[in-house]
Amino acid sequence: MIETFKSVIDTLSAPTVSFTLLTLLTPLIFPPTDWLDKLNRKLGIWRIWTKPGLWAGMGFITFFFTVGYFDPNFNITLTKPDNFPIVLMVYSMFFFIWLGMKKAYINDGRLAEGEKPEEYNDPDDKVLVWPDLVYIEFIALILFMVFLIVWSILVAAPLEEPANPASTPNPSKAPWYFLGLQEMLVYFDPWLAGIVFPMFIIFGMMAIPYMDTNPKGDGYYSFKERRIGIFIFMYGWLILWLFLIVIGTFFRGPNWNFFGPFEYWDPHKVVPLNNVNLSEYFWVKMLSTGLPANIMLREFMGFLAVFAYMFVFPILLAKTWLKDLFEKIGPIRYTTLMLFGLSMFSLPIKMYLRWFFNLKYIIAIPEWFFNI
Amino acid sequence: MFNNDERYWDIQKLNKWFAISSILFLISMAWTFVDDNDDEFKVYQREFRKMEIGITEKNLEKELEAVSAERISFEKDLVKAQSELDIQNETLVNLDETLKTLKGRYYNENMIYQGQKAEVDGLKYLVEAENAHQDDGDHHGPSNKNDYAAALELLHKYQLIKETSEIEINETEKAIKNLKANVKLKRDELNIVLKDVTIVDNKLSKIDRERMTFANKVGDIVRDLPIIDFLDPYYKVNQVVVKDVKYDVNFAAVPKVDRCTSCHLGIENPDFVDAPQPYTTHPNLDLYITSASSHPMDTFGCTSCHAGRGRGTSFISSTHTPSNEEEKARWEEEYDWEVMHHWLQPMLPTQYTEASCFKCHNNNLDLKGADKLNLGLSLVDKSGCNGCHLVQDYPQLSKVGPNLKNLDEKVSREWIAKWIQDPKKFRHNTKMPSTFGQDNQSSPEMHAWNDAEIYAMSSYLVSENGGKKSTSDYRFMGDAENGQHLFESIGCLGCHVIEPEPVETETSLKDLTKRQGPNLIGIGSKTSAEWVYNWIKDPLAYNPESRMPNLRVNDKDAKDITAYIMSFRNEDFDNLPDVSLNENSLDKVAFTHLSKQMPESYATKKLAGMNLNQKLDYVAKKSITHYGCFGCHTIDGFEKAKPIGTELTEQGSKPTIKLDFGLHHDIDHTNFAWFEAKLSNPRIFDRDKVSPALDKLKMPNFDFNKTEIEAITTAILGFNANKVDEGIKAHNRVDEMAQNGARLIKQFNCQGCHLIDDFGGQLVDYIGAAEYAPPNLNTEGAKVNPDWLLSFFNNPSIIRPNLEVRMPSFHQITDEQWNAIIKYFQHLDNEKISYRDELAINKNSIEFKGGEMLHELGACDNCHFYGTTFPKQDASTWAPNMALTKDRLNPDWVKEWLRDPQNIMPGTKMPAPFLPTEDLLTIDGAKNDWGEELVKMNGDAEAMLDGLRDYVWSIKGKTNIDKTIQDYFDENGYDFSGDEDEDEWGDDDDW
Repeated sequence: MIETFKSVIDTLSAPTVSFTLLTLLTPLIFPPTDWLDKLNRKLGIWRIWTKPGLWAGMGFITFFFTVGYFDPNFNITLTKPDNFPIVLMVYSMFFFIWLGMKKAYINDGRLAEGEKPEEYNDPDDKVLVWPDLVYIEFIALILFMVFLIVWSILVAAPLEEPANPASTPNPSKAPWYFLGLQEMLVYFDPWLAGIVFPMFIIFGMMAIPYMDTNPKGDGYYSFKERRIGIFIFMYGWLILWLFLIVIGTFFRGPNWNFFGPFEYWDPHKVVPLNNVNLSEYFWVKMLSTGLPANIMLREFMGFLAVFAYMFVFPILLAKTWLKDLFEKIGPIRYTTLMLFGLSMFSLPIKMYLRWFFNLKYIIAIPEWFFNI
Repeated sequence: MFNNDERYWDIQKLNKWFAISSILFLISMAWTFVDDNDDEFKVYQREFRKMEIGITEKNLEKELEAVSAERISFEKDLVKAQSELDIQNETLVNLDETLKTLKGRYYNENMIYQGQKAEVDGLKYLVEAENAHQDDGDHHGPSNKNDYAAALELLHKYQLIKETSEIEINETEKAIKNLKANVKLKRDELNIVLKDVTIVDNKLSKIDRERMTFANKVGDIVRDLPIIDFLDPYYKVNQVVVKDVKYDVNFAAVPKVDRCTSCHLGIENPDFVDAPQPYTTHPNLDLYITSASSHPMDTFGCTSCHAGRGRGTSFISSTHTPSNEEEKARWEEEYDWEVMHHWLQPMLPTQYTEASCFKCHNNNLDLKGADKLNLGLSLVDKSGCNGCHLVQDYPQLSKVGPNLKNLDEKVSREWIAKWIQDPKKFRHNTKMPSTFGQDNQSSPEMHAWNDAEIYAMSSYLVSENGGKKSTSDYRFMGDAENGQHLFESIGCLGCHVIEPEPVETETSLKDLTKRQGPNLIGIGSKTSAEWVYNWIKDPLAYNPESRMPNLRVNDKDAKDITAYIMSFRNEDFDNLPDVSLNENSLDKVAFTHLSKQMPESYATKKLAGMNLNQKLDYVAKKSITHYGCFGCHTIDGFEKAKPIGTELTEQGSKPTIKLDFGLHHDIDHTNFAWFEAKLSNPRIFDRDKVSPALDKLKMPNFDFNKTEIEAITTAILGFNANKVDEGIKAHNRVDEMAQNGARLIKQFNCQGCHLIDDFGGQLVDYIGAAEYAPPNLNTEGAKVNPDWLLSFFNNPSIIRPNLEVRMPSFHQITDEQWNAIIKYFQHLDNEKISYRDELAINKNSIEFKGGEMLHELGACDNCHFYGTTFPKQDASTWAPNMALTKDRLNPDWVKEWLRDPQNIMPGTKMPAPFLPTEDLLTIDGAKNDWGEELVKMNGDAEAMLDGLRDYVWSIKGKTNIDKTIQDYFDENGYDFSGDEDEDEWGDDDDW
């Protein structure tokens, strides 16, 4: 029974499977359209945001980690002091999303019936900065200090040996909070995954209040009034960031090979990675000629594709599907939204291109260290 | 407006939460302190303190016991003196009272005097200033000179008053002291008796809280309180910084810091021999740790030898490594032991600690006490590890296997093939390792592949007509029985054994000296009588690289020995099927090698163009290159081939993660476990791998036993990158030439026959009595004249005529190498002189004449030759030629030898000459018995020994008497055995 569970989890954990499943599940859990919302209701997914949902979710996470703790292979990764924060993260993320969504659903119900949101009348939710908020924050600060102190006493800092250039750890992992970025490095060149994307994440989040000027939902929890925004954010945050951290922590073993959580990290494992560039697909496989010597000619397909994705695609959208949006928010906001939004969705796109077509780079100019 | 009453939260509730969180915070802070101060080593230190108190109390009892009788009388004297003093108590009280008054008076008088002195100094300045400015008229106001004079006079007066009191005080004090003098004397005497008790008692009062005063008790608690404990705590980390031994942190080398003594507290204290770990005493304090030993703690620390993380102060963080599975299980139980992965060089398990000796002692001439490392290094030498694996710090002296250049004179192609296929089938304990028939070659395809390689190599090693040009003609064989006698007596057994069946022996250095040469079984099945005969006559003619010496046997003896050796046959091996040649397999091997060099289509074409001989030649060359045969053997065409194995110079430091443990998990992930597994089965890490033939592991199997594996692993662990300063390397203190000499002695197995540096001479086990075995060379460096020794080495002559065993001629050793050997002998005896002036003898001196008399009385000519003059007694007691002494020996040594031969060479038959004592020489008629000169010398032993030595130096005669002796034995034979003449000399004392 447990072994079946383990092998199911191992199979499901493969990035191709798990990422696809989660990508398909996200719009069901945070339905951005009426149709998906109906489906959500029909399948009863909304029940997650009830108390039984909380217990079921917490129970599943706990069951997973408990089974993991008693599994000789998962135990090794699970009990590393480095990975303690990830375990905390899984619990806390679920709890806080649950809390927010529960309140949002209650408010959505109230709003649908023409009532005001709960927060409007709730005296518990009204706080004076001085003295109440400062006092509460001070208490929280003390309690958090207690937590940090106890943590540091009970779990020794995971210090390692003096750095040795002749002997690097295998796998070499970034600090846990950067493991999402490290996972991106599998699919993108360092200048993109290590520099451009992190900057876009920061600037993109800074830009949110300027792009989303919808005044509804300010000061109270609500899902319906901002469902597209919440869906996009949740997809980026939960799948493209947190889930990649989980993959990097628990599923990446020696030689950055993928391992299911209950699998043994065998350093001998070899996974062939015969990746091909778009230019090679076009010139060598399709046209059966060699690569042209001129770099720009060689990569023109890639440039075309990137140009189309980043510049033509948004214009087409603005004329068709997103016409309303474009007219509502205007060209500047629309352009900004598209820049950050398309960059974000380029990650899953690139992942699928890699998995299904072994596509290495869309534009590959190693001569200039310019690869996309 | 701010309304103080506006509240949305219950402030009382928040206050409660604040109180709770503050208390939790306080508790967590307290916990921090407790946790921070609750070090593992402190637990051990507290326990040790208890043990130390117990042991010190016992020592105190012992010390008190020791003085219990003595102290009584001293204590009585003290009591008596005290009671005498008590009688005069009244006087003493009066005197004390007087002293008190006097001191009070003096205090006042001295105060007045000092005050006046300050006044005088002030006036003095004014007067001096006045004098200086008198001439330039710059002085104003009245003169101070009168005041000064008056003040000075007053000062003098006060001084006298003060001094009077001083004198009185001194006298009173003296009187008191006199009264008390006797008591003090008696007390001092008692204290001397109780000195040792006091030392122990003082120590006890420092460590035992129960014996402390209340103030000290408080202090003892306070000094170890958190934060305050930075000042002078009792429980603290003990550390030693070892500046000459570096720890490599990859970008810098830092001195070692060893904190081991924080827990190993009794390591230096012999009282703790029976204490459990970690308190127990070091097992070898004579050699380590104490300041009197050669490896004091301050210079070497702990981890220089034991390795590990010296900075660690807990059981796990100092990277203790268990020696075996039981210990591992016990540690896991007791200490929650686990591997500290992040420390690349954990502590050496105790069985491998000797590996560390190598970093300072990287020559085996000074490795006494490190037997395992020494054995390991010897095995590395004898197994030829260096042939394939370069070890820069321990280079190979010569190839270990025989030269294969003229192989077809010796053996047939068939024999070679069968031998390569499985050498152990021919000789169960051969040093030739098994390259084929190993675990990763068990498939039928690999058998066929290997047979093709073996066949090709065997044809390559012989010329085209198939080998074994020599014959087993009766002309080369004599009397096997006499051959056996010769084989067993002239010294062949110094290096060879004849063991038809495996013998269960523990591998030891001594055992290795027995097996320098091959076990001579089955020779009759291997080669021809002609070859054996020629080999015995002159090994270097066949193989100039051989280590086999020339025993200078005559033709008849050589034939006899040949007959004896040829009598051993190995029928099983003879009956083994030949290694057959399968041309398809040969093609496959050739093709695989070819296609590594060129595209397959070219390879196919090239192969098609080759005839059988070309294919055989090609495959042979490729296989010899692949298996690295030239690492041990000289082979035509491979003179410049590079060794094929991994360099092992720093293998001991190779991170464990760089060692391929294969796909199985049954071997501990430690470097030593990997080495052990590799040595016991070199192909073990290929288990379940599906590598193509040429990618398979190919280290041959030496069939090492457990002892050997442990010894070699020790050596490999010693080959590491750990750095020590040149200054503390032991071998830097020894002349390089002497070091070379030591290795030459090993290389040529001198210790198979001779005892050198208290090791060797296993041949005596066969011969029986030490007096018929090759001589003990323990004092050789001080004993012989280096010039003579060199000429002897180059052309050995008979020194000890009663020995049947003979010193062979090592023509392959050059003069330079002989000199290195001589240098090593001299190094052992701390002999610095290499040339000595001839001993000047005055034949007219009293000493010389006395020596002559002693010589006459000593009847030296009973045993010693005098040139060609035979000794009086029979051959079993014959001793060296006296006429040779002058050339051969060092006069200083001879004097010491004459003083006490047993001291220099225990068991020698040479008696010490009787030297008459003064008493004997003064009795009546002494002149008649001892002669005028001896009487004059009056029992002066030094002068008599000088005289005797001088006389010996004057003995003339032929120095080389080989022919005389040989002729005698040719006629009479060595028909004496070791035990018939036991009582010849009787007891030395009676002589």
